[in-house]
Amino acid sequence: MIVCVAVVGHQNNPLYLESFTGGDDALKLHHIVHCSLDVIDERVNNPKRSASTLNETFLGLLYPTENYKVYGYLTNTKVKLIMVTTDLDVKDADVRSFFRKFHAAYVDAVSNPFHVPGKKITSNSFSERVGTIVKSFGHSMSL
Amino acid sequence: MDPIRTYLGRLLLEEITPVVMVITTPLAEEACQKNGFSFVDMLLPFSLFPRIDVPVRTASDQPYRLQMFKLRLFHASNIRKQNYEAAEEHLKRVISDLNEKNPPDLLSEPPQLDTALTKSESDLCPGWIKTFNKELIRTVSFSEHESFDHPVACILVASSKDEEPINKFTDLFNMDQTPPLLNEGVMDPKMLKHYVLLHDNQDGSTENAASIFAEMRGTFGQYDCKMLCINSLREGDENNNEVMWLPYRNYGILDHGKTCCLNTDDLNQIREFMQDLTCNHIIPYMEQKIRILNQQVSTTRKGFRNQIKNLWWRKGKDDMPEAPDGPMYTFSSVESQIRLLGDYAFMLRDYELALSNYRLLSTDYKLDKAWKRYAGVQEMCALSYFMLDQSRKEAEYCMENAFATYLKVGSLAQRNATRCGLWWAEMLKARGQYKEASSVYTRVSNEEPTLHAAIMLEQASCCYLLSRPPMLRKYGFHLILAGNRYYMSDQKQHAIRAYRNALFVYRDNSWSYINDHVHFNIGRWYGSLGSLDVAIKHVLEILACGHQSQPTQNLFLNEFFHFVQSAGKRFDVHKLRLPTINMSSFKVIHEDHRTYASAADFDMQESVWRDLEEEMTPTASAPRANWLDTHPKSSLKTYDHCVCVAGEVVRVEIELKNPLQIPIPISGISLMCELSGNSDASTLDNGAASFAVDESTGHTESPVNRLMDGDDSSFNLSKHDLVLGGGETKRVKLKVTPKVEGILKIVGVRWTLSESVVGYRYFEVNTKKKTKAKKGARISSGKNLTLIVIKGISKLEGRIDGLPAKAFMGDLQLLNLKLRNTSESAVKNIKMKINHPRYLIPGNSRETDLSIPQCLGEKNAHEEERYNLTDNKDTYKNLLFSFSESNVVQGGETFSWPIWFHCGTPGKVSLLISIYYEMENSTSGMTYRTLRMHHILEVLPSLDASFVISPCPSKLKEYLVRMDIVNRASSESFSLHQLSCVGDKWAISTLPSCTDITSVQTVLAGQALSCFFKIQDLNGVTEGECTGHRSNMLMGTEGSREQLFDISKSPLIDFHYQERHHQDKLAKVSESLLDFILISKAIGSNFESEAGSSHQLLSHHMCHCSVTRKSLISWRMSVPYTIYHDFSSSICEVELHVDVLNCSPNQVNVQVSTFDYTPDTTENPSSDWSGASSLSTKQSGWSDISLENDIRVMSSPKKVQKYHKSTSESAPPFVWCGSSAIQLSLEPACAARVPLKVCVFAPGTYNLSNYELRWKDVEGLSGSSAGQGHPFYLTVLEGPHGKVTPV
Repeated sequence: MIVCVAVVGHQNNPLYLESFTGGDDALKLHHIVHCSLDVIDERVNNPKRSASTLNETFLGLLYPTENYKVYGYLTNTKVKLIMVTTDLDVKDADVRSFFRKFHAAYVDAVSNPFHVPGKKITSNSFSERVGTIVKSFGHSMSL
Repeated sequence: MDPIRTYLGRLLLEEITPVVMVITTPLAEEACQKNGFSFVDMLLPFSLFPRIDVPVRTASDQPYRLQMFKLRLFHASNIRKQNYEAAEEHLKRVISDLNEKNPPDLLSEPPQLDTALTKSESDLCPGWIKTFNKELIRTVSFSEHESFDHPVACILVASSKDEEPINKFTDLFNMDQTPPLLNEGVMDPKMLKHYVLLHDNQDGSTENAASIFAEMRGTFGQYDCKMLCINSLREGDENNNEVMWLPYRNYGILDHGKTCCLNTDDLNQIREFMQDLTCNHIIPYMEQKIRILNQQVSTTRKGFRNQIKNLWWRKGKDDMPEAPDGPMYTFSSVESQIRLLGDYAFMLRDYELALSNYRLLSTDYKLDKAWKRYAGVQEMCALSYFMLDQSRKEAEYCMENAFATYLKVGSLAQRNATRCGLWWAEMLKARGQYKEASSVYTRVSNEEPTLHAAIMLEQASCCYLLSRPPMLRKYGFHLILAGNRYYMSDQKQHAIRAYRNALFVYRDNSWSYINDHVHFNIGRWYGSLGSLDVAIKHVLEILACGHQSQPTQNLFLNEFFHFVQSAGKRFDVHKLRLPTINMSSFKVIHEDHRTYASAADFDMQESVWRDLEEEMTPTASAPRANWLDTHPKSSLKTYDHCVCVAGEVVRVEIELKNPLQIPIPISGISLMCELSGNSDASTLDNGAASFAVDESTGHTESPVNRLMDGDDSSFNLSKHDLVLGGGETKRVKLKVTPKVEGILKIVGVRWTLSESVVGYRYFEVNTKKKTKAKKGARISSGKNLTLIVIKGISKLEGRIDGLPAKAFMGDLQLLNLKLRNTSESAVKNIKMKINHPRYLIPGNSRETDLSIPQCLGEKNAHEEERYNLTDNKDTYKNLLFSFSESNVVQGGETFSWPIWFHCGTPGKVSLLISIYYEMENSTSGMTYRTLRMHHILEVLPSLDASFVISPCPSKLKEYLVRMDIVNRASSESFSLHQLSCVGDKWAISTLPSCTDITSVQTVLAGQALSCFFKIQDLNGVTEGECTGHRSNMLMGTEGSREQLFDISKSPLIDFHYQERHHQDKLAKVSESLLDFILISKAIGSNFESEAGSSHQLLSHHMCHCSVTRKSLISWRMSVPYTIYHDFSSSICEVELHVDVLNCSPNQVNVQVSTFDYTPDTTENPSSDWSGASSLSTKQSGWSDISLENDIRVMSSPKKVQKYHKSTSESAPPFVWCGSSAIQLSLEPACAARVPLKVCVFAPGTYNLSNYELRWKDVEGLSGSSAGQGHPFYLTVLEGPHGKVTPV
């Protein structure tokens, strides 16, 4: 199950963070997402990146915490998409397709002429769409 | 990298050293206690040899030298494994002791990002953590599976006072004092023994002792005995030998208040003893032991045969049950001996030898499944690798293996795992692998109780900061975790310290949830520690937490107010974040020579006003020749923008927003101002500068106290109280009224939140950003906060009574402009300018008492002078109106003036009225002021009328008019009252057949209707002829008592001119005939109830109505239709006229030509018509055209011939006389009368249509064309001459 998805701006400011646990653990998830930015930084700035991974947006498993796995995705505009899941055996392909959908949703949300770039995403339709993507991720996993 | 120079290297050199067991008799101990320490403590400073420089030779033949050496001395009773609880207690005590000695610095500023990054490890991680680590490692000493804690030697101490000291020595070692491990057979009881006789010099001379010592040497051997004399210090001798023990203070030495009685000789003796013990006994003993053990191991375990044998032997033990600790190994077992060999080798720094033995041993233990021992050996392997600085990978692998194995063993080896982790982390740190080290610390923290975990996490966070590049977020996260655990284990100070260090990570990065959490917890903990000031400071940071949920907001607020109340004093907080002040909305409104009717009028741009007032106000100064040409003398002019008048209110508008969902009460919102009584321009600058400095020097001295007491008579401040609801934004108008001349500085704003906290905020004076945010030039410079206050002068206040906000199009009202002079002195020379004279026109003073609509009535139409509205452009743009010179408004008086109001086109209109006036007696350099009034009017659509005018077919000067009226109002109905043509030249009348149209009274909302009228051009008609023709037509029911309005009177005519001007722009047609004014009344007004609906008049002006016609020229034959003539006397000559009217805008040349045949097309109808008419008229004596033959004879042969050619059947019995073609030129809109003459020879009816007009546009635009004459029938009857019957 995905417990949290987040969009983080290119100055590492949170643009969108949604928890799907329903519990009061926003702070913890904020911390986890915030911390994973360090790993993203490390991965992106790693000079040893090979040419094949240089243009890869999917950053893979960022780091496993005690109960969660954190995956990252970096768009061309240096916006980071982060997903925290409790599933311990996740297929890479599933995560990739999840991020593709998530990215598309994000692109649509920021294409809204009323969205101010660099500000938090407050669009309801974006949240709804992300909610469906998250649900479908869990669904495909159970199948 | 030299491993020995690293922290871990030094740690190992200090911690893994030979242990010396000390057993003392009570008397010996007592002698030592005179100094406040035990015997072990006494030897402690001398157990470390920084430069011992002894040669050592272990298994190999190559000797090497040891530089630094250390012995660990323990009393026999301490050589035992600590149980877990005792260890916990001990550690807790260590932490609290360390806290007392080094209390965390909680009052300084929390670190910033740049300083934190430049700090070294020792700065980042508090020193006491290292001490704690050591203590933590020491808790696992004297375990059964490791032998480096097993005593190498034993020192037996007896006092010279002891009875039978020789026996005591033997007893000592055999007593119960020996450690349990020794008794259990884990430790080798055969160890190096050393016998010490302790002599207290205070007890007497050494003679007795010397004899005992001699006896000892006889019994125990020459070299293994030693006599120590202590406490030889005499009273009064100065000494400072306590210094020696100072580094060991932590162990509780010297804390008993006893003085040291050892003199220098004693110390030297002890030092010599220890040196001798180490160099001559312990190290050689260890060397020898290593060699023996090595030989044993080589024979039993080395070599191929031994390995096979060993494997086979191990396998045989497979079936034995698995004990939790693995099998029991006694000191004599081969495994223990190998371990001992390895440890001894490690302690003597022969790491190669140690490593080979450890590796040998690890396979054995693995096969035996003795996991704890296996882990211990792996650990030592890793350390050996590290000290050898070989194969990092191997070292790490061993460490990981050891750590995992310890964890696998479970709770028994948990602390060992911790020690292993700490070493591992240190090892990684020594190699610069901070990131890996921090993950090790994190793993360790999972195995430890909360307090220890907190310390581990703090170390982990330090490692993240030290890693390259620094991982700040992880640093922050781990500090938060550490702080949280500190808090859970009741170490609030450390919790605060950890959180504070993490603050900078989350600052400015909009991770507000985390930031709020950190600040809130710091604040809370400070609060519980009693540092309320700091607590409040931190909670203040998070007050404006609009993103949090409402309960959280409540929690924050409550906590904050709780602290504030417990602090019990008033807090002045700079930039208090509740409520949020929108600085871009900040606006200073002051009135200099420009005054405003209401505060809302400030929103207009200054340039609009300036354009309006252009002609009215005197020019401020002569235009400068160039920019160098300044006006230094007129200081007041320089600060033209920032002058205000004493006694008049300066307003500051500012927006306050509540970011929370909880309503917050705010009271006492007021400005902070300074008023200095010096109005010199130079001090103004200085003042501003000094103020800026004052602000930059910090806000330590709260300015609230200095500036808040506005009751010091120089100015008045207004105070506002309000409650801001959740998420609400309110605009507050703050006022300051300076009372004396000087310089007024508006410094900031202050308010009281919930009656407990005073917040204040400075208005930033010199920020560029603010300048940008301002609209217009009025508030363009930051200096606007500094105003020059000049002496009070007169001021007019004005308003227009009854000016509606919404009105229907065409609405006509008489309003009253009221000007009140609030000051003492009089004002004169009042002028007024209105931007839309289409909407507002000043009336006449006589109209003041009149009421609409009576004043518009025709009855009152006595000749009065109207304002001559010159027809120039400015009149239509801006209307300048000067009140007469005699209009001087005295102080305190009110002056009214009527003003006419009329709505033009629908839509929103902003009406600007500027009133100029001069001071009667001006002393302050300001000679005039202007009062600006601004009103926004919304004009609603009402009746919409359009006209179609077509020429009357029968008469040249009459026209038929169709008026289409649509009521475009949403709900209002109107009754039509009057339709008028403008000017004297036109008369309007109803058509005879449709008089009922005029009885249509009301036009309902949305209704459309059409009416028909006739209009007549009275041009050229004499007075007498036009009687009975009116240019006005009442449209109500006939006979009603409604009065007609005189449209030629002011204001209707004035508004008409305006309308005409405006519609002129829209009108496309080039030719205009006349203008109409439609007057109607509103019935059942829905929303303008206060305006007096019964009398609400609307006038609609339809200008430039034009005639729709087809040709340029229109003509009409005008002649009597019937003529009586006595044909017996002569032939009848009839004078005819053709009236030609030029309708085109150009000059036209017209030719009228006649010819004497009738076109075929018109013949038959004419004869029919003549027949019909003859029947209807029944005139006697009328005869048919039978006589035409006679007439034809009389006519000119040429024409007859011509006619004959064309028509044989009938020839006209008349001929045209005079010239057959007349040419004339017509000016635009001119009419001309062309005389024609026709001769009739016999009575009858004749169609006189056989003439033709040809015309040509002189300008050549419309070309030339021609038209046949209209049918015109002339009847000539036999009768007396001169009798003419007009139609």
